[in-house]
Amino acid sequence: MDWLYGTLAVLEKDLRLELRSRYAVNMLIMFVVSSLFLVAFAVGQDDIEPRLRAGLLWIVIFFAASIGLGRSFVAEEERGTVLLLRLNVRGSMVFAGKLIFNFLLLLGVDVLAVAVTSLILGLQVQNPLILASVLFLGSLSLAGTTTLLAAIISRASNRGPLLPVLSFPLLIVLLISVVNGTEAALVGGDGWASATESIVTIAGFGGVVITTAVLLFDYVWED
Amino acid sequence: MKPSRGAVNVRRYRIVRNIVLIWLTAMILAAFLLDIPKINILEHTARNLYFHVPMWFSMMAAVFVSAWHSLQVLRGGGLIRDIRALQAARVGTLFGLMGLVTGIWWSKFTWYVGTDVWWNFDPRQTMAALQLLIYGAYFVLRSAVEEPERRSRIAAVYNLFAVVTVPFLLYVLPRQLQSLHPGADGNPAFSEITAPVMRLIFYPAVIGFIGLFWVLYTQRVRLASARLRITRDPEL
Repeated sequence: MDWLYGTLAVLEKDLRLELRSRYAVNMLIMFVVSSLFLVAFAVGQDDIEPRLRAGLLWIVIFFAASIGLGRSFVAEEERGTVLLLRLNVRGSMVFAGKLIFNFLLLLGVDVLAVAVTSLILGLQVQNPLILASVLFLGSLSLAGTTTLLAAIISRASNRGPLLPVLSFPLLIVLLISVVNGTEAALVGGDGWASATESIVTIAGFGGVVITTAVLLFDYVWED
Repeated sequence: MKPSRGAVNVRRYRIVRNIVLIWLTAMILAAFLLDIPKINILEHTARNLYFHVPMWFSMMAAVFVSAWHSLQVLRGGGLIRDIRALQAARVGTLFGLMGLVTGIWWSKFTWYVGTDVWWNFDPRQTMAALQLLIYGAYFVLRSAVEEPERRSRIAAVYNLFAVVTVPFLLYVLPRQLQSLHPGADGNPAFSEITAPVMRLIFYPAVIGFIGLFWVLYTQRVRLASARLRITRDPEL
């Protein structure tokens, strides 16, 4: 109960700060919309295959995650609030709170990216339920990976654009599975049969990544 | 933390180094001189088996050693463990690069002869390439942290986090990508297509190159711990 209360307190703090400045939300919206327009102009008027569509959609989501979510711990360092957090709540609560916050941001990115893609690139989804579950689980895994790596980066002295460099080699497994799953949702065909393997892989990856991140987080967080 | 005076047992290092030297010389001579059965297409390139495959084994050994010492860093092993994790990763990167180069070169004369293909997303090739990418990111991360104690901890966390995600490739890639390697996708297993005389050299080659990994790794650990004694920072 205590743990849940602390987690929700961290989440509430982040949400309130975000509502006050709306920096991450505005940045993510602009990033997703402008990069999808970039993709649309690059691809042109031609009809593109479902596989390529799924790949482009997820590349935009991955980049949005690696750019937008890297701020979560760096901002604490910059504001000098790390010490206060460390005094008041345990490390795992901070991690869980930030993870949920990042996950919510990513769900927003997913909805926006799918909406904009279907608007300007004509995304025909044969099986929306598969797409929703792939997006949901994929974002959870993505949030788990980037939250730990963001914590790692906040401890570095030269932060820069380090998050994509650190996260992409680890995320390739996830990328393969989510693109396969999304392709299955776009093509339809034999329904869940073609997507089950991808969804199971994504769920397994997310579970392993989040468990490991919880175990390792304390070593990054405590000095 | 105590300066690491006894980080490396120099006596043992010298003995192993001399054994590896003789062992590898004998193995390389045998690899080029012993007669092997001629197989169509493979011909003499089959001898690359003695070099290409042990590189992969050595890299896996390096990955395990590096991850093990990273774990020890988190359990309070101090900077010497960090040095060990870093040097294993560096030498592992060298073996990984050699494995890729020998593999690409070999495939150019066998699988892809007469084509423009240089790179194929073969599962094993992809895994080796990803491991190299991870180590690249690991080195970049290390250079971004200045304070040695903090760097050791953060680098260890990243190394362990990466090690956990890599095994998923073993599950995902073979379903995604086709392999031409022996033993995959219903291709004949390694033991079925290898002549006894080749196995006679291959297994010693694996042991020899893992020994070479140990020698290079220990040598670099010795150098880095000497630097640590002088400068308090193993990477200066």
